[in-house]
Amino acid sequence: MTSVTDRLDGIIEEFTDLDSREKLQLLVDFANGLPPLSPEHAARKAADNGRVHECQTPVFLWTEVEGGAARLVAEVAPEAPTVKGFVAILAEAINGRPVAEVAAISDEMLERMGLAEVLGMLRARGLRAIVARVKRGFAGLPTG
Amino acid sequence: MAAYVHPEVLVSTDWVAEHLSDSQVRIVESDEDRALYVQGHVQGAVEIDWMTDLQDATCRDYIDKAAFEKLCAERGISNDTTVVFYGDKNNWWACYAFWVFKLYGHDKCRIMDGGRKKWELDGRAWSTDRVDYPRAHYTANEQDGSIRALRDEVLKHQKAGKQLLDVRSPEEYRGERMHMPDYPNEGAVRGGHIPGAHNVPWPMNCNEDGTFKSAKELEKLYIKELKMKRRSPTIAYCRIGERSSLTWFVLKYLLGFGNVKNYDGSWLEWGNCVRVPIAKGGEPGGAAAAPSAAASVAPSA
Repeated sequence: MTSVTDRLDGIIEEFTDLDSREKLQLLVDFANGLPPLSPEHAARKAADNGRVHECQTPVFLWTEVEGGAARLVAEVAPEAPTVKGFVAILAEAINGRPVAEVAAISDEMLERMGLAEVLGMLRARGLRAIVARVKRGFAGLPTG
Repeated sequence: MAAYVHPEVLVSTDWVAEHLSDSQVRIVESDEDRALYVQGHVQGAVEIDWMTDLQDATCRDYIDKAAFEKLCAERGISNDTTVVFYGDKNNWWACYAFWVFKLYGHDKCRIMDGGRKKWELDGRAWSTDRVDYPRAHYTANEQDGSIRALRDEVLKHQKAGKQLLDVRSPEEYRGERMHMPDYPNEGAVRGGHIPGAHNVPWPMNCNEDGTFKSAKELEKLYIKELKMKRRSPTIAYCRIGERSSLTWFVLKYLLGFGNVKNYDGSWLEWGNCVRVPIAKGGEPGGAAAAPSAAASVAPSA
């Protein structure tokens, strides 16, 4: 089993050598891979639970734990593939791993992926806020 | 029977579909989310990104004349090309790119009414083809100051009590919010609006399908209800001048305002300026009613 950090490093490496269009294409691929909500989460969404209000685009996000394993569940509007792809990357790195490992996610990941440059400062800031939100969400959960 | 004053600046999705292979036409996508273009764009469309293509990376300004000429040349845009802009979010960024093209004097600029949303609702195809055109030759004009307001001009305009429009959300206008909860503050140290500015949030210009509201509805909003005058100088602003470029487009071309400028410095400049007047709350507040720190402090020697 590899840690959240190891998994993220692997994904970051996939981005590193791509040109800007290829980076965006890879984000789109990740976005397409984000699974649809379970009926249970869809019901919570309908009750407006989980809405990330700081995002301009509709983002619903839940940080959960089951037997010590972290699970990030999210739905992002299809008109925001960048955010959707980025959330999908976080979910792929986090899901199934111990909650305590989430805190180690690097704040520099956007720079290392080369996305800060492709997206520009303001958009990158929005994605950083999502990382902060995810880390905060897991920080309050039981680790045992 | 109200009609748009300059209807020629709008083209329909039908028109675009019929001109996909027209060598005199270049279709340009500008989005909030850059990945949308990669995911699928109108066949033959090139991307121009407001942040990474149109902004100067060093000075807080637009790219200079030489860089604009290079950008156009690389996208296969000549001086006589008809450039049709479209994008996500009710063409918000498309209008911003349109405004920058007008800033450098491009003649034939159009907006595809409804943008990505309408194209999608029409059930039209998206292309993922890489688009590359032979390099064109382009000569830009100097920046057109008649459509861009800089800070000192806005201050004079405000003091004279002239028409000002704040197109941000009511929460931002009232000064309750400078940035989203839990979001990093994007840089304004004070919240509120420029005294005298009316608040017409930009989405009020658009229909559900992303198209612009009818001339009659827009006239009702700006002219009947707010009593704005077409001939009076008008300045629109938002947070960084993007949302207000859509309102600028509506006022100038759809309603025919004779003298309207976009203040691209907007709240990220005004909310940081020392001693400029600010009004809080839901009322415009007049130039006279504005708290004026500068006036109440004796000039120091």
